[in-house]
Amino acid sequence: MNTVEIKNLSKKYGELSALKNVNLDVPEGTIYGLVGPNGAGKTTLIKALVGALKPTEGNTKVLGLDPLKDKWKLRRQIGYMPQSPALYDDISARDNIMFFGKAQNVPDLKKKTDDILSFAELTSRANDKVGTFSGGMKKRVSLCCALVHDPKILFLDEPTAAVDPHLKMQSWILFRQLAERGITIFVSTHLMDEALLCDKVTILRNGEILAVDTPQKILERGKTKMKILTNGEEKFSVIDSTPQSLASELKKFGLEKNVSSIELRSDNIEDIILAIVREKSKEEKQ
Amino acid sequence: MNTFIIAGRVLSQLKGDKRFLVLSIIAPLIIIYFLKLLFDTFPANPFVSYTSFTIPISAFIVHFLSFILCAILLVQERTRGTLERMMIGGFSKMSIIGGYTLGYFGLATVQAIAVLFESIWLFELDYETKTVVILFIVIWLLAIVSVMLGIFVSTFAKHEGHVFPFIPLIILPSVFLTGLIVDPAGLPKWAEIIGKCLPLHYAVNIIHEIIKPEYDVSATYADFGFLLGYVFALLFLASLTLKETE
Repeated sequence: MNTVEIKNLSKKYGELSALKNVNLDVPEGTIYGLVGPNGAGKTTLIKALVGALKPTEGNTKVLGLDPLKDKWKLRRQIGYMPQSPALYDDISARDNIMFFGKAQNVPDLKKKTDDILSFAELTSRANDKVGTFSGGMKKRVSLCCALVHDPKILFLDEPTAAVDPHLKMQSWILFRQLAERGITIFVSTHLMDEALLCDKVTILRNGEILAVDTPQKILERGKTKMKILTNGEEKFSVIDSTPQSLASELKKFGLEKNVSSIELRSDNIEDIILAIVREKSKEEKQ
Repeated sequence: MNTFIIAGRVLSQLKGDKRFLVLSIIAPLIIIYFLKLLFDTFPANPFVSYTSFTIPISAFIVHFLSFILCAILLVQERTRGTLERMMIGGFSKMSIIGGYTLGYFGLATVQAIAVLFESIWLFELDYETKTVVILFIVIWLLAIVSVMLGIFVSTFAKHEGHVFPFIPLIILPSVFLTGLIVDPAGLPKWAEIIGKCLPLHYAVNIIHEIIKPEYDVSATYADFGFLLGYVFALLFLASLTLKETE
């Protein structure tokens, strides 16, 4: 079953098209990545899904509900973590979480808040004012606010932007734990390496979808560059990033005794995504 | 229910922001003290009673500060992203407007009491208890109108800087056209009409009537009606302009 269904979604701001005919299905219980550079339309798409933005054209369904017409029903079932922490600096982490929890009538809110603070490893700072927190800790409090009412789907807009690598990895461990509990996670990022941590990825650029696939399939679109040194002579070739392609290429050489070394360098996910974006730009120019 | 949750959060936020509290309570008291210093420099004139300006100017200070502080706090909600998050998080726009108004009721009450009692004490004004109570109600009601005006104006501002152009548009004309300094009857007709569009005009009318030695409360009913009308009209306008979706 799909938790999100988007059909022909477009959003225009005057002459500027922020989203162009987007079609997307998000399966239940997955971590779904929306990858693209800044200005690709990721935030606009998330805002359309949480009912904060009226699309110019198209239909969206989240958990079978229309984000605008059924907003009150839907808002009880979704969690939203915006790009900025969107917290009150003058009150404590606990009070911030409880404030957003109260709006959703969360039963036994105090216990729920304690549990969620412990899950995000924030118990020791629970009563400190958010204004004294680091950027990474604010992001975790923001995640707690989005989670306090046990949503079925969580929309995370660039949750790890400007976060140090250790905290970034910790955050992704948290996201995976949430997905294992059955929560669908729709996460946007401009960090290409994070695409590998998702179950499925959509690449967005200038409001347009360029590719939708699993990270493995996207990796396979990459090329492996080979440099073979034989009798002091360097030979270069480019093959597909699959074991079969490598075997086939090496057969040409018969693995002779004088092949002293084989060096491989495969495209990483960032190279591949940038290549897809470049290819699209080239197509558009032609 | 959500209205009370927001009001509670506004109050705990105000409590936690010491600079804001000082600005909203201590600043008006200091300004009134400066007013006293100014009036003391004027030569005694048997035809002019400077004390008749005291309460209207005190009311104006509350009006100005309540408006500007409320507008800036709500704009901060927008720039910080908490306003959008509140709406997506299940708070309706009416509960946000109601919560802010209710949260400021307390602050407006404290401001009105502090300003009124300092003015009476500093300027040695000898008013009956009934007069003081009516003056308190006028200043308090004006503070509520100012909060509503702040909420309404904040819907047009994307950041704090956008609030300031409204000061010469709304607040400064109040100084010259509402009877605070000169009788509006002596102004050109068009200026008098502009003055009548500003809420301070009705508050000043009530204050001028109530501080007369022999006053008639029934003469202030229409002006009280206008002030109440402002509260509801601004509440309605704010609910129209505060957008839940882009």
